[in-house]
Amino acid sequence: MENKAKILIIDDEEVVLDSCAQILKGAPYQLATASDGTSGLTLLQEFRPDLVFVDLKMPGISGFEVLEKIGEIDPTIVIVVITGFATVSSAVEAMKKGAYDFLPKPFTPDEFRLIARRGIERRKLMLEAIALRKERDLLREQFASIVSHELKAPLSAIQQNIFALEFELEKRLGPEQKEKFERIKARLTDLLKMINSWLRVIAVDIDRLKEGFVPLSIAEPIANAIESLDTLAARKNIKIVSEVGQDLPAVLGDKVSLAEVFVNIIGNALKYSPDGSNVRVTARQEEQTIAISIEDSGIGIAEEDLPHIFDGFYRGKGGQTVAGGHGIGLAVARQIVEAHNGSIEVESEVGTGTTFTVRLPIHQS
Amino acid sequence: MSKKLLIIDDDPDFVSGIKSILDAGGYEVDVAYNPKDGLRALQAKKYDLLLLDIMMGRGAEGIMIARKMRKDAKLREIPVLIITGMREQIAFLFPGEPVHPRFVDVDEMVEKPVEPKLLLDKVQSLIQAAEAKKAEK
Repeated sequence: MENKAKILIIDDEEVVLDSCAQILKGAPYQLATASDGTSGLTLLQEFRPDLVFVDLKMPGISGFEVLEKIGEIDPTIVIVVITGFATVSSAVEAMKKGAYDFLPKPFTPDEFRLIARRGIERRKLMLEAIALRKERDLLREQFASIVSHELKAPLSAIQQNIFALEFELEKRLGPEQKEKFERIKARLTDLLKMINSWLRVIAVDIDRLKEGFVPLSIAEPIANAIESLDTLAARKNIKIVSEVGQDLPAVLGDKVSLAEVFVNIIGNALKYSPDGSNVRVTARQEEQTIAISIEDSGIGIAEEDLPHIFDGFYRGKGGQTVAGGHGIGLAVARQIVEAHNGSIEVESEVGTGTTFTVRLPIHQS
Repeated sequence: MSKKLLIIDDDPDFVSGIKSILDAGGYEVDVAYNPKDGLRALQAKKYDLLLLDIMMGRGAEGIMIARKMRKDAKLREIPVLIITGMREQIAFLFPGEPVHPRFVDVDEMVEKPVEPKLLLDKVQSLIQAAEAKKAEK
């Protein structure tokens, strides 16, 4: 049978190897044996066992070393260590190093069969878990692409026709009609943005960002974020005052996602600030971190809401009716900042304003 | 003589929204609703610019067209404005700045939906850039 579970036994005592083979005779396993660590590892490469029994005390390379090497070759292979009765402590040590179980010598056939069965079961579960995780990731990606296409395509088509309609009617529209067009466009734009940020949460594994980190000046993502919020700020006649210290040390990070952090936080500040006010963005060095603060004089956040604002899909119980929040921007911001080994905190007073502070470690070159 | 444009996009509703803007801009606009017809049109008639949707059909079928154009000495000279429904990180980072996919000699990318002014500006500047490049040769 092709998919019989495979067991490899590495032990220098021939009698152990023999008796194990004897015990498992007729059981649905495929068995291989080796009498020392080095040949065991060589055999393992081609035999690809599900379960390995390793004697801890052998001449040549030790059972511990074998344990470590197997972990490097394939961490899903289940390992059971064989130990003398008196050495329970080394069995514990082995389990700390990744062994799944231990088999004390001498053992009865029943004990051996039981541990073998459990080990094989363990391996099966591990492989199933991995397969499930892969499937989940795949589903997530597919879901994201379906949402992206099925939801965004119709919205884009609607928005495009509204653009065209407004363009064609430009000279015939009165101010009130123009205003209605503006409202429609603004809401559609918000909707498209919301889908984009949901997609970001669903489709992107933020931890993977770390692979692309480079040293960069924090001034860059801040400037990019402010630039992309120009229109929104102008619409509300809010001035974004930026005081980014010159020659700040570099941070290690991903420029695009850091810009996204600042777009989300500054965008919130704009949304919840009164028309004609200022939003201040400052960056300075604080010991071994760069601290970036975004300060507004907006409606503020109620004390009971503060602990939840980074949770996602949370917009405050206070029944705020300010348009445009989709409760996920701050959750995304936190995830990105944490992927950068940074922190994000908020201070706020209702009616006075809110200050968000992002701290990122300075890059040690 | 007015410039000739070809739109290749499989969403007729979206196409209607850009075609009327381009019509009003004084261009002569043809449309193909799938990559096959699009390629046929490109080979049958001389166009001054192609507006190409990348995400057609089940995948990025628009890229197939870009690849074929790249291999064809004649088609390579046609400037291409790629219109994509994908959110481009780059477009997000540099709002308003051109993103060059470099499929052909002269190309640029914009995200759906496209504002009329931006659309007309891009079309005009790409045609001019392609003409200038041709004159150099």
